Formats: sequence, C-alpha cells, structure tokens
Amino acid sequence: MIKRDLLEELLAAALSTGGDFAEVYAEHTRNNGIQFVDGKIDRITDNVLSGVGIRVFLNQRTVYASTSDLTREGLLRCARSAADALGEGNAQISICLKPQTVIDSHPVRINPCNAENSYKTNILKKACCTAAEHSELITQVQGTLAGVDHEILVANSDGLLVEDRHVRTRIVVNAIASKDGENQSGSCAPGRGMGMELFELFDPSEVGKRAAEMALVNLRADYCKAGQMTVAIENGFGGVIFHEACGHSLEATQVGVGMSEMCGKLGQKIANEKITAIDDGTIPNAWGSVNVDDEGNPTRRNVLIENGVLKGYMIDRLGSRRMGMPMTGNSRRQSYVYEPTSRMTNTFIDNGPDRNEDIISSIEYGLYAREMGGGSVNPLTGAFNFSVREGYMIRNGKICEPVRGASLIGTGSQILQDIDMVGQNLATGQGMCGSSSGNVPTDVGQPLIRVKKITVGGR
Amino acid sequence: MDFDAVKDCLIQEANRAGLEEYEVYFMESSGMSTETLKNEISSFSSGVSGGVSFRCVVNGKMGSAATELFTEEEMKALVTRAMDGAKYIENEDRAILYAGAERYETVKVPESLIPDAAAVKKIALEIQERTYSESQWITDGTQSGVFCDQISMELMNSHGLHLSHRVSMSGAYAQAVIQKDGESQDAFDFTLNLDSDSLTAVSSRATQEALSKVGTVDISSGKYDVILGGKQMRSLLSAFSPIFSAKNAQLGLSLLKGREGELVANPIVTLMDDPLREDCPMQTAFDGEGVATRRKAVIKNGVLNTLLYDLATAYKAGVESTGNGQRVGYAENVTIRPYSFYLAGGTVSETELRETMGDGVYITELKGLHSGCNAVTGDFSIESAGYKVRNGKLCEAIKSFTIAGNFFELLKGIEGMANEVHFGIPSGFTVYGAPDVMIRQMSVAGK
Repeated sequence: MIKRDLLEELLAAALSTGGDFAEVYAEHTRNNGIQFVDGKIDRITDNVLSGVGIRVFLNQRTVYASTSDLTREGLLRCARSAADALGEGNAQISICLKPQTVIDSHPVRINPCNAENSYKTNILKKACCTAAEHSELITQVQGTLAGVDHEILVANSDGLLVEDRHVRTRIVVNAIASKDGENQSGSCAPGRGMGMELFELFDPSEVGKRAAEMALVNLRADYCKAGQMTVAIENGFGGVIFHEACGHSLEATQVGVGMSEMCGKLGQKIANEKITAIDDGTIPNAWGSVNVDDEGNPTRRNVLIENGVLKGYMIDRLGSRRMGMPMTGNSRRQSYVYEPTSRMTNTFIDNGPDRNEDIISSIEYGLYAREMGGGSVNPLTGAFNFSVREGYMIRNGKICEPVRGASLIGTGSQILQDIDMVGQNLATGQGMCGSSSGNVPTDVGQPLIRVKKITVGGR
Repeated sequence: MDFDAVKDCLIQEANRAGLEEYEVYFMESSGMSTETLKNEISSFSSGVSGGVSFRCVVNGKMGSAATELFTEEEMKALVTRAMDGAKYIENEDRAILYAGAERYETVKVPESLIPDAAAVKKIALEIQERTYSESQWITDGTQSGVFCDQISMELMNSHGLHLSHRVSMSGAYAQAVIQKDGESQDAFDFTLNLDSDSLTAVSSRATQEALSKVGTVDISSGKYDVILGGKQMRSLLSAFSPIFSAKNAQLGLSLLKGREGELVANPIVTLMDDPLREDCPMQTAFDGEGVATRRKAVIKNGVLNTLLYDLATAYKAGVESTGNGQRVGYAENVTIRPYSFYLAGGTVSETELRETMGDGVYITELKGLHSGCNAVTGDFSIESAGYKVRNGKLCEAIKSFTIAGNFFELLKGIEGMANEVHFGIPSGFTVYGAPDVMIRQMSVAGK
C-alpha cells in the first residue's frame, strides 16, 4: 500500500519531537452493499475508503493524526502534525522495518466485492421474497447484502511491518407484519468473516423465513408484564448479555483509567462458578475474527473468566502501558479515522453443566428470551440494558404465550452472580459494537442460560 | 489530484461513457479533538478526510459509487461502478438530478471561535481543573474534552447546478466521576460555546448531576405520572425521528403513513424542523440533492402538517420536496433526515410543571435507546434514571428502572410542556431539541 522507505520516513518524522513509539496504519477498504425493499432492488452502494492514521506515544499520552491524502507530501504533513502536537524538536531517527508474514486463518473463496451484482441480487431477492411470501400478514420486507474487503498495513517504530486482509459478508432481512393498524417486526442477520460461501452455511430462504416468523410471533404477542422474574436467555445473540454486562467492563479502555467496576478484581470470584467466558479472535472465519489486530499483533484466545474467577482483561498498547500488563491482540478500530482502542472480537460464555430442558423445566414463572436485541452499559457502574426481540412467558416449566416489548436491566456484577444455570448449546450471533474507536464487527455467544432474578421492563 | 482535477476527470469520463445526467458531490471534513485524564492531556487527534461521490442516471435508474482514493484510474472505475450498479436497480423511484432552486436562503451562522491546537489543549485542561475543584468527591476517571470540526462540500451536476457550503462547530465537555459513600457515579455535560462562563457551567452541571445520583432508592413497578426531562425527550424524539420520513411512510414502515392533516398529538404539541435556526452552528441552505431548505412545522397544534420529503418521495406523493434529502458523508446515499428538529416550548417554567404534576417521577436519564425503541411499532422499553417528585419537589434519586410505552400514544398523552427547549450536539446537520414534558400514567418497572 505504501512503500517501505516512505513508511520508515513517516515513523522517523512522527518521532522527531520526543515520542517514544510511533505507528502508521494504512487501509484500503471496499464496501459493497445491495438494498432490497418493497419487492425490488432499491439501492446499490460501492464505496472505497482509503487513508492513513499515524499515532505517536510518549509514556501514557498519545497523539493521533489521520488523512485521506496519500501523496508523499500529504503523509509527511500528517506525520509532522502528530509530532508537533506532541512536542518540539527535530531529532533525526532511523527506523528499519522488518516485514512479517501473516498466516491467514480465515480463507475466502468468493470475495463479495468482486462477485457479480447479478449473483448477489439473486441471493438477496431469494431471502427477501421468501419472507414476503411467508404469510399475507407480512406487509413489508427490507434486506441488505453487504460485503467488505478490508486491506490493512501496520508499521511501527519497533520495526514491525505487517499487511493483512479481512473479508466479511452479511445478509440482513427485516420483515414487518401488520394487522389492524399495528406493525411488528422480525429480523435475521447472519454474517461471517468469509466471502459469498456464507450462503453454503445459511440458505437465504431460511434467513427470510426466520425473519417473517419472528414478526408474526410478535404480531400475536401481548405486552410483557413488568417486574422482577427468572429469565431463560437462549443461545446465539443472547450472548449480548455478557457483551454488555461484563465484556465492556473488561476492556482496557475502561479498566486502564479506573472507570470499570472490574478494576482490581483479577483472581477474584466475580461470577457463578458455572461461568467460563472467553474472547477469541482466532476462530476461523468468525464475524469478529482477524489474523492481526489494528496494532499488528496476532489475535488470540483470551480466557476472561474461568469457573467464575476473573482471569484477564482485553488490552491494547495504550492499555498495556496504563495497566502494566501485556497486550492481548484486542486493538480495533472502524477505520483509519479512529485511534484504535481495546475492543472485543468473538466473546462468549462457554458451555456449562446444565441440560437445556432442565433449565426451562426449573422455572415456575418467568420469561424465555428467544431472541435478544442490542443494548448498552455504563462500565463505571455496570448498569446495563437490553431489549428482547422475541420472548415467551414460562409457566410451570413450559414455554407458553409470546410477549413483546420487554427489556432487561441490571448491573454486570450482580447478573454474573445471578446466572445460576448454564446450558450446552453454545452458538454465536453477529453484531456491530459501537465505542470510541467506531463500529467494529463482534460476535456474541452463549448456550441457553438461566438468570434467577432480573428486572424485566414492560407494561 | 485536488477536487478540481477530480471533477474534470469525472466529467470527462461521464462524457466518454455517453452519460447525459450525472452529479459530482465532494465533501471534506477536518477536525481536532483532545481529552484529559487526571491533570494531563491524555490524547490529541486531528484528521482530514475527503471523498467524492458520483451519481448518474442510466435508463431512468440512479447509480452511485464513492471513493476517497483520488487517482485517475480510480475515477474511471468510479464511473464504471456507478453505471453497473444502476443496471440492477428495480425501484420505480423517479431518478431526479435537480436543476436548482430560484432562491436559496442566506445562512447566518453564529460567530464561533475555532481554536488552534494549543488553545484546544488549554481549554480542556482548564475544564478538567474546574471539574476537580467542584467537589471533594471528584475522583480520577473524570475526563474533559474539546472538539472542533469543519465540513466543506461542493455539489455540481450536468444540469448546471453548482453549490458549495462550509460549516464549522466547536464544543467542550466534562465527564465528572465521583466516589462518595462507597458508590461511584458519573455524569456528562457539554457546551457548544467556548466562553469562560459556559465552560464553568459545564463542570458544575456535570459534577452536581453525578453527586445527585448517590444514595438511590428503589421504586415499585406500576403506573406513575412522569416528567421526561428535555434532554430525555429529545433523545426519544431522535430515536423515533424515522417515523417522519416520507420514504418510511411510503414503504409502510411508519404508522404516520397517510395521516397528514390528522390529529396525531396533543394540541399543545408543535414540532418544528428548522435548517436555518440562528443559534445552531450546523445550518444549510440546500440539502444533499441541491434543493433549497426551509423552516416548517411538522406537527402544528397536534396536527401532522407534513412528513419530510426528498425529491423521489415528493414526486411519488405529488408534493414539493421539503429539502430534507440529506447526505452527511460523501459516500452516503440521499437519506431523509430532519435539521434542527424540536418540540416548541410551552408557557410554564420547569418548576411550575413539576408543581402541576404534584407526585410522580422526574426522568433525567434514558439509556440504550438504539435497542429499546422500535420506530416501526412505536414501542419503547428503556432503562431510565431519575428522581421521585412529591408535592412538586424533587426528592430521592431512584435506582435503575425502566419506562415503557408507545411513542404514538406518548405524543397524544403529553399534558404539559415547560418553556425551555434543550438542544443536543449536532450530528451532521441534525440536532434534536425538547422541553421537559409531562405524561400521565406511564408504565414503570422497578423493584
């Protein structure tokens, strides 16, 4: 993307005012999207993002400058502006970069950005038309087929030079069911860090059918009653509970500045002993996987909680300096415009000891959350919220009538103690996680779990 | 290549490809921001990025593609990609490239200080120092920041339209963290005015709010009269703003479809959309399609006056575009969005509104609106924080609870509004505002 001698020159310029470490991040990203609505292909987008971000460290201070001007002058101006924002001087520094080979653990067969539009529109139409034809009550279907081809280069003043490429593909189908002037929605949105071979794993028709079914369930559902109750949360995107309730509080972004309820708790029992939680950026072709993170470090499998005991945090370079602990391959950013920070990759609660049928039959009165929506957390207090997209009441150990409009609220430290049953059907769901370094793809996951008591918002 | 060279190259390529209708949209944004931690600048960042989008009409369909890579080869590819995309478009939208309005309003942007890097750092450190001096309970983790952004854009098309615009905005914030009685709490506040009084007020408001959250009590689940604080009402308005898009209405994704002229809110409710609000830094006289923008009441005295239209939806509905076809980034498709979108204030003060309510809940925080609100159904169920109100007086802070309801019902159920409208931080050209509003018998889930 940028020649080695120019990279060395940029790093030297960035360090010329007293910085102790400098890094150049370059990217060339192609974003391809096809949108379907109202029975027709509505829009096709095809965008190229291309730019460079230069970061300089001095102890625990950082300066970041970015530009889309990739001329030699533009890049040197960017490096110099970062250096000038850090301090004064004109030190002559020599950098020697050593290119490293990246082993690709996430091979791609059919790059979605190079595939023919006709091929892609057919897949999207198949998914959306299946949803539309599923019932007369389905009144609208929106769909998106998105492909990203993301090439990155990271060079730093330690001599590291790596280049990598991440490709991902995702289909999203939203179905609306309507009756008597009321709308309800359902969705299905599988994605992977792979190409169009995604559709060998997910039949587009099944994706459309699932979205339609959820909308229909919600259309016949009554409002969920509010109050505290026992809740069983299904696998897959249900793992958003751990992502929000605990994951963000284990990121160095928060822990490194003392803004997390998980600070200083390493080695302590913070969760029920049935909980083992992992962040693993190495899972082949998973949605949140990459070979190297956005600081050029290989991703790895990080055990966060083992049998209820806090074992580790997710740490980037700045966090490493602040916390005095090694980096964990979790540095991520949406694009070159953002300074990277510690983020989750594929984060999940591992399978536990309980049989799934025992979890449901153990609940006399409660809520079964089959599909979760998104949520948010305040890492300082651990207070979190998330929405239930498809839910059912449980009575006398049986899943009964559907309910809608429920949300779950609580605090991370409390819910980790209150998850008292962990099932055995671990699966993941795909999300886009937003934080200070932008939106990045992350997998959430878990098996079916039981929370003995949580506040359910409803009416 | 600079933008002029990019433009020339694209025009040449468009002509070579035999395109009769095409458009070039250029946007460059630059910005600077800094953040403090303890008594030091912990980070400083600056950036410049610019990109160009090319749209063209092929056989009556609109194709588009965008790039940040300014090379001749890429410009050729850009035209090819836009033309190829157009072949697969099936919608029946009229593909319109606009020839221009007879007249565009003059933008009167308030004079704002665009500080340099040294000033940005100095201001951030000053806020941090002030925040630390606000209370003995302030603790590390407290952060202050300053940001400034400039955006310039240029729109030209084959009909001879050529418009350009430049806007800038700067602001500062404090995130106060306090530790008191074994409890940690935080609060955020901001200002878009960098004068000394505004900066002092930011430190003070953030600290006082964080302190007021300590020592919370439970609330039992049930129905309560509530006042949604202006900041919370504007967040709710933001989450449900897609219901006012004519595109969503035409697709059956908004329950306001076909309801123009009907009573959709309590008659005390007037909802304005103002692209030229004088004290807003992000004003514009034209939208992303080149249509002249204008001030309008979307809801007037409870009646839905108009939805928000771009050219294609207006053509379909047989009305004029309202100038709401926005393009915030160079790569963004035309998307219907409001500008300064706010509920007009009522006649009573915030204190008087609480006295009118008597007993109930005053809501000062709503969280996770991106997941707790469903714009298609209008339903919401949201994590909240606030205070108990007795005899019109603010009392104890309440532990985390949720409020739930339906936005369409809420609009009709607004029984009182205070006179001060609170605006947020603009995102692109959009900023939301609302006064405190009173709603009777809202569902609250607590203990």
